[in-house]
Amino acid sequence: MEALLFYLFASLTLICGLLVVANPLTRNPVTSAMFLVLTIVSMAGLFVLLHAFFLAAVQVMVYAGAVIVLFLFVIMLLDIKSVEQKGFNPLSLFMGLLGLLAVGGMVIQSILRSNVGQGLKPQLEGATKELGVELFTHYVLAFEIMGVLLLVGMMGVILLSKKDLK
Amino acid sequence: MNISASILEIAVVLLGVVIMLADLWTPPKYKSWLGVGSAAGLLLILAGSFFLQVNEPIQAFGGMYVLDAFALFFKRFFIVATMLVLLISVEYSKKFQSGSGEYFSLSLFALSGMMFAASANHFALLFVSLELITITFYILTSFLRHQIISLEAGIKYLILGALSSAFLLYGIALVYGATGTMQFDALRAQSANMVQSPLLLVGLLMILAGLGFKIAAFPFQIWAPDVYQGSPNSTTAFLAVGSKAAGFALLMRLLMSAVPDVALSWEPLLMGMAAITILYGNLCALPQRNLKRLLGYSSIAHAGYLMMGVAAMSLNGSGAILYYLSGYLFTVIAAFLVIILVMQHTGAEDIIQLAQLHQRAPGLAGMLALSMVSLAGIPPLAGFFGKFLLLRAVLEQASVHTAYYGLVAVAVIGVVISLVYYFGIIRTIYWEKQQLVADEIHVSPISRVVLWVCAVLMIYLGILPNRLMEAASTAVESLKF
Repeated sequence: MEALLFYLFASLTLICGLLVVANPLTRNPVTSAMFLVLTIVSMAGLFVLLHAFFLAAVQVMVYAGAVIVLFLFVIMLLDIKSVEQKGFNPLSLFMGLLGLLAVGGMVIQSILRSNVGQGLKPQLEGATKELGVELFTHYVLAFEIMGVLLLVGMMGVILLSKKDLK
Repeated sequence: MNISASILEIAVVLLGVVIMLADLWTPPKYKSWLGVGSAAGLLLILAGSFFLQVNEPIQAFGGMYVLDAFALFFKRFFIVATMLVLLISVEYSKKFQSGSGEYFSLSLFALSGMMFAASANHFALLFVSLELITITFYILTSFLRHQIISLEAGIKYLILGALSSAFLLYGIALVYGATGTMQFDALRAQSANMVQSPLLLVGLLMILAGLGFKIAAFPFQIWAPDVYQGSPNSTTAFLAVGSKAAGFALLMRLLMSAVPDVALSWEPLLMGMAAITILYGNLCALPQRNLKRLLGYSSIAHAGYLMMGVAAMSLNGSGAILYYLSGYLFTVIAAFLVIILVMQHTGAEDIIQLAQLHQRAPGLAGMLALSMVSLAGIPPLAGFFGKFLLLRAVLEQASVHTAYYGLVAVAVIGVVISLVYYFGIIRTIYWEKQQLVADEIHVSPISRVVLWVCAVLMIYLGILPNRLMEAASTAVESLKF
């Protein structure tokens, strides 16, 4: 059952992810954003299967709920109907495919050859309490640095977008 | 938990917050004093760092953070680098239409990221500190937001930086999947008998790609020329010294402390990377007419020389990297300060702008010539001694692997190629006939001090390298390689 669900969510993630960037039917950016929502929701499903319930909830609430809604607002405010399809440069297409084959082949080969999932099976403690305890004990330093990072991000947004700074 | 170990970083973050708040109440006329103030604050922190004792490595935050001689060396290096960058950005901040106070505090936050990176002993800290550096640099590169070229640099850096972060994260996930740990000491124990594990190797390869982006080593160098050209001059200098050194600090700690056995089997890969980076940087620098773009390519070449030290996989090689970075710091800062001063009024940084500089400003002309000579690696300057140490470290390893001879040959060829374009600049300064409508060049007292400090240290490090060499070799001993 779990395996079935995994394959369902994983293939949904991949298919929707592909449709975000390369939708053969429409070039409408709103459609792309909606497929991004689907990608994120199916990734949340993968998190649930890993027992990372908190992450799954945050994934849906923050990304699907807040970030994509902002994306949609921006797209609609700018009133982008559809993006011009630029012709692919055959050389860059070829290099891209080559890169995809190289990296993908490397990852798939290494996973096939290393017996993943046979040995240790750590029980993930993904509930809110365990995650909070981890964040504020073992990972407190990284957590605090994230605070500085958020401050930097905020300053950056204000600096780069405000009309006149004095 | 041993919070006091990270006292220096805490001080830097606090200084950044203080500068950010002080900016609110500072009238625009006095904003450049905030830069001087933050440099003075850093000088205090630097002095404070000499009270820290690190005879034994101090671990803090559950082994995530380590304070040893290596980390402390790099922390001091980053503090000095940021201090100089802050001082030259005081000179440059006249070009910002707004937000010079924020520029100073952002530089300080980037510094805190670099200092955390120097102490990273856990993949979580490695990633978070690297992101702090990179995201701050996205803002610093696009700081001249009224110029399209600066925004272009910011976008390019953002997209390629995000891609490299994705590789880094995926690599960390694979390494965690293979070994079950993200802490470097535990990883060292685990990886010793997993040298053949494909999952670990692919993961580390992706981490190498992520770090390769930071240091602009081939084949992850593609962003460097455009970003170097488009960024504000002070940011370009910061990218060249700070961000690159942070990448090397992380790479050295990862390869030598966390996965030494894998790293040893990767010698040919690292040698190849170093050789191609040297050739690519030097050959592409040859036809450049834009001074900043030229220095961008030359910084790729220097990343290649530094990679030789990593590829040597020895304590001498690592010590040489530390020495080379220090010499490179003063050279690059001096060069960029001269560029800022000479090209204050012209938008483009074409080399021809330097024509007849020795008549307009003999001191600046001499300074730029000195730094070019040091970058080219001519004795008796710091750049020469750094290259000498690196080549010696590589030659020592030649008994292990004959391919090291090839690497030395490539490096020498690279140095010879680089003479062409470095001396092209010097030729333009002194012997170019073309007359330009010359602007008045005004050198402020702060710039004068920075130039003198850089010149004296460039010569001092070249003639009397012992003190720094000792410091570098004690620093690398704590890598446990």
